[in-house]
Amino acid sequence: MILDLHAHSIKSDDGRAKVQNYCQWISTRKVPIDGFVLTEHRQFDFESDYSTLAEKFGITILKGAEVETEYGHVLVFGVTLALTRAFDFANIHLPLALVLEASEQHNAVAVPCHPGRVRVGMSAHIDTYGIPEGVRIVETYNGGSRGNEDQIAQKMAEEQGYLGIGGSDAHIVSHIGRCATRFSHDISIEAELTDALRAGDFEAITFRENA
Amino acid sequence: MLDAEDLAAYAATCGELAPRYTQTSHPDYQAPPTIATSLSPGQRMPIGFPKIAGLGMDAGKAVCSMKPIRPGVTITGKSHMHDIYTKTGRSGRMVFFVIRMELFDPQGDQLAWADTSVVIREKPQS
Amino acid sequence: MTISRIEDVQFGEELPVFDPDTSLDNVKRFAVAAGWNRPRFTDHEAARAEGLPGALVPGIMSQGFLAAMIHRWAPDAEVQLVDTVFRAPVVVDLQYHINGVVTDIDEEEKLIEIDLTLTNDADETRVFGTAKVLIG
Repeated sequence: MILDLHAHSIKSDDGRAKVQNYCQWISTRKVPIDGFVLTEHRQFDFESDYSTLAEKFGITILKGAEVETEYGHVLVFGVTLALTRAFDFANIHLPLALVLEASEQHNAVAVPCHPGRVRVGMSAHIDTYGIPEGVRIVETYNGGSRGNEDQIAQKMAEEQGYLGIGGSDAHIVSHIGRCATRFSHDISIEAELTDALRAGDFEAITFRENA
Repeated sequence: MLDAEDLAAYAATCGELAPRYTQTSHPDYQAPPTIATSLSPGQRMPIGFPKIAGLGMDAGKAVCSMKPIRPGVTITGKSHMHDIYTKTGRSGRMVFFVIRMELFDPQGDQLAWADTSVVIREKPQS
Repeated sequence: MTISRIEDVQFGEELPVFDPDTSLDNVKRFAVAAGWNRPRFTDHEAARAEGLPGALVPGIMSQGFLAAMIHRWAPDAEVQLVDTVFRAPVVVDLQYHINGVVTDIDEEEKLIEIDLTLTNDADETRVFGTAKVLIG
């Protein structure tokens, strides 16, 4: 099963894609993914219910979040109401240690994303803050990466023994599925995703031609 | 009031080929549909707004065209602060201001609106 | 081939790629016409002194490129909305490419939505956005 673990919809301030159009795009263009996770910026979208769309298109649609820490941006999978009370998702100065610890406590999984990116990526902050404790997974393929950002991420993952996921970081419809993560088991709900992530049962993949 | 020749140059330099935007003699001659963003107050903040240190840049623009804007017509623009939020990006900590300008013709009909999203980035440490 | 009727538009259809003219001369002409004649757009050295990588193509010009691209594909189309996010500077005198693809069709309203991406030669996105366009 292949999931794009990093996508934004119009719920994000800079997202321009409607979820329905992501589904239509994946279906019509035969994008080789089975689903995606909506990781809206600095929030968790409790309101939206995409189950009808998911059923109509036969696509798995899950929800997560992308929060901001001193080490850069971090994807959070398996978000619950209790987790959103453990720290303020809208705070752009979150301590990474808090995000990791709270996620662990609430059976969620926190994954630093685009870690090779300047300023918003983890590697840019290691000289200042050191290697953070508790990181197990980072995003090693990001569809929005420029230059050698993915290579920096992969090198860091190799050196630190991190596992890697992939996500498109799509903000518009046609960018969905540029990078993704392959799992060996089916995933249909958030808890199955976090189980698979904790089990290390996945690999990052890219469909970008120049990666 | 917009000048016909300037509008034609605006359209041509953007790569427009449609005569209604490039030929001032065209019976339906009008400004290109994105013209409203060029008229917006951009990085000018409301009177009395606190000054924020940093490098101001355009982060995004949205323009909605409702009716053709034609040269020689007096246009009135009204602007307001539409949104403010913060986030981090490749350039560090950033504050976003979204300023919306609405354009009206002399009859009071709305011609367009344009949002300018201005980001103030922290100056890099030297 | 140009488009004049919504029935001729396909979901997922790609518009012809448009390589905009970002030469200093063209940007200068634009800046004068738009009343945005400022050194950061028309003078590489002045822009670098501001900490920029070079003279910038104004965001309003990038937006104009996107609308022009749509009209080249559908000359009579009415571009109702262009919504752009500037991800990275578009630098004068460098080569860029604009891709557009149809991502929504509302036949009843005769409205389509187009994803627009301006990339450099390394296929890095500098500007992306969407447009709502009335056709036919």
